[in-house]
Amino acid sequence: MKTIYKLIVKEYKLLLSDRLGMMLTFIIPLALIFIWGLVFGKIGSGSQKLRLAFVNLSDAPISSKIESALDSSKTLVLLKSYQDETGKRIKFDTTSVQDYVKRGRVSAALVIPVDAYTDTSSGLKLKFYYDPKNDFEMQLMQGVLQQTIMSEIPDLFLQGMQRQSIKYLGTDSGKAFNDAITGVIEKYFSNDKKLSQIPSVSDTSNLSLTKNKDENNFFQNILQIDNVQLVGQDIANPWATRSVGGWAMMFLLFTLTATSSSLLDEKKSGVILRILASPISRVQILWSKYLFNMSLGFIQLSVLFLGGALMYKINIFSNIFNLALIISAAATACTAFGMLLAAVSRTAAQANGLGMFLILSMSSIGGAWFPTAFMPDFIQTISKGTIVYWAMDGIQQVLWRGVGTGEIVPNIAILLGMAMLITSVSIWQFKKGHVF
Amino acid sequence: MIKITNITKRFPTVTALENISFTINKQEFFGLLGPNGAGKTTLMNLLVGYFDADKGEIEIAGERVSRDTLQTRKNIGLVPQSLALYDDISAEENLKIFGSFYHIDKNVLSDRIKEKLESVQLYDRRKEKVKTFSGGMKRRLNMIASLLHDPPLILCDEPTVGIDPQSRNAIFDYLTLLNQQGKTIVYTTHYMEEAERLCNRIAIIDHGKIIAEGSLDKLLERLHYDDTISIIKNQTTIANLHIIKSFGDLIDVNEHFELKPKQGFLLSEFYSMLEKHNIGYKFIETKRPSLESLFLHLTGRRLRD
Repeated sequence: MKTIYKLIVKEYKLLLSDRLGMMLTFIIPLALIFIWGLVFGKIGSGSQKLRLAFVNLSDAPISSKIESALDSSKTLVLLKSYQDETGKRIKFDTTSVQDYVKRGRVSAALVIPVDAYTDTSSGLKLKFYYDPKNDFEMQLMQGVLQQTIMSEIPDLFLQGMQRQSIKYLGTDSGKAFNDAITGVIEKYFSNDKKLSQIPSVSDTSNLSLTKNKDENNFFQNILQIDNVQLVGQDIANPWATRSVGGWAMMFLLFTLTATSSSLLDEKKSGVILRILASPISRVQILWSKYLFNMSLGFIQLSVLFLGGALMYKINIFSNIFNLALIISAAATACTAFGMLLAAVSRTAAQANGLGMFLILSMSSIGGAWFPTAFMPDFIQTISKGTIVYWAMDGIQQVLWRGVGTGEIVPNIAILLGMAMLITSVSIWQFKKGHVF
Repeated sequence: MIKITNITKRFPTVTALENISFTINKQEFFGLLGPNGAGKTTLMNLLVGYFDADKGEIEIAGERVSRDTLQTRKNIGLVPQSLALYDDISAEENLKIFGSFYHIDKNVLSDRIKEKLESVQLYDRRKEKVKTFSGGMKRRLNMIASLLHDPPLILCDEPTVGIDPQSRNAIFDYLTLLNQQGKTIVYTTHYMEEAERLCNRIAIIDHGKIIAEGSLDKLLERLHYDDTISIIKNQTTIANLHIIKSFGDLIDVNEHFELKPKQGFLLSEFYSMLEKHNIGYKFIETKRPSLESLFLHLTGRRLRD
């Protein structure tokens, strides 16, 4: 027992003397827990607002009431206008709001049409345009919409019920039916006729936000939301198409960090000295590492997407040129990131430890694991400073939206800009001489 | 071949070399002998232009060496102290990679790889991964990986550290052969036996300074005696120290004393003294002067302290 105790003490002494081991055991997990707490902690708490484009074309008082209810929603932000090329704000109409969704500026739009609710309507008609690039966001948005609308328009149920009973039973019988129902409810439940005739909000669980349901279903007729998918209708495997970019980016970063930090292994083994003793300059060594990593990154991403195409029918071939452009830019930026780690670290183990921390942070903040739309505003701002965000966004634009080269130019420019900036810092660090 | 003039190299916490100057002639087998941390590897790194000196100048074959001059490196083969090899690929693949840095014709390179592998008895193991090699085999491979471009100047930075006698002898034999074929060799070591066996001329370096330089004979002439007498420390010898001291200079070296005999010393008189004071002969050993003795004489320390 004493021997085992001594061996355990030895293990702790070694751990305490290993700064990297201590960092990987305590500091990095604590830092990641802190970051993930910021990123994921508020998801589902309703503190993060979802953006919804909105057009109200109806004069009916009920439409104003819905608009006002949505305006005051704690979960939604209504966007009622957009900025054109000249910077002028223009109010949405039915066409422009659809275009806004198609271009990926928002995930969904709600249109209250002119004939949303007329004197003869048996229910409220709405149009919901959406881009299901993010399933979870869409489900949350539909739930919030449904709850907000239903809870804000109780009168509509009373009117709808009365109109439908008259429609299906005739004026006299319908009226008699309404009176009889009112009497029964009055007798057994309450003296307040109006309230007792209104279904509770919880009953709205039967109200589906889809069209083409049973026309005779009373509840469905009260709230008819016509859902129109604007993007990705032809995509065979939406989940895989949406997710592949994020995962591919994360693995690419891990690979390129490892290959870049091989410089430090080569330094440790003396191979760098051997190479520099031959007629090869430091610049040539660095260029070869950069070009190798870039090409490896491009090949790795290509293989991953090809695998996705074979296994999950992700359509990579219809927009292959633009996909190649965005993955080239992503590979360049990730290479720069890996080389920076090699430049600032003293050992390969240090580079890999630091890399793990930064990659996991960047992947979570950048949206590789979870849509950034649900993250707090300041995290969303930070996420735009990550390689993962711009690469994923570009890949999604290409695969999901099928955009042309012009649409991904900003992503490519930002990724290459990041690569240049990071490379400048790396070169400055390499010149300081940790590696060479 | 090499001209080193007033070289000083400082690192943040230590001055590795201080105002060093000497020359190495063509076809010489030049030894740089010194303890660990004396500045030998720093000097080798300066010779290949791995970094620049803070002061002074190095010329190889008339060309100035610096971090940015690549041309001189074509004439140099550096055998590094560490095993600078890729463990996960074969010996042959390693040689192909390192040979390719010199833009050697593919067929010529292939022939040279075969010849070098044969010369260090590794040809049969050429297809095996380096990580399966013994320390001695790796050392031999480490050496020939630096010689594929047939350089006229070979810099060997402690190429035999931690290897078996068989591999050490194979390296010595091959380097001697290369020297006989006209190559200039600079060989750093902290083993005086290696320097004595291999080198025509030796510089002794300590704390970044050259403290002696010349041929082995010339260096040993600086010791004003022929033999050294080693006396084991025990009660009897310690009790008779005052008498022993009368025969020369006595230096206390860890477990024994070293007596540097004074002029006119007679071995017969010394043995008579031992007999008279009952000091057994088994405690005494007579040694020929060596570089070790010279280092001790010059620094007051043993070479491997």
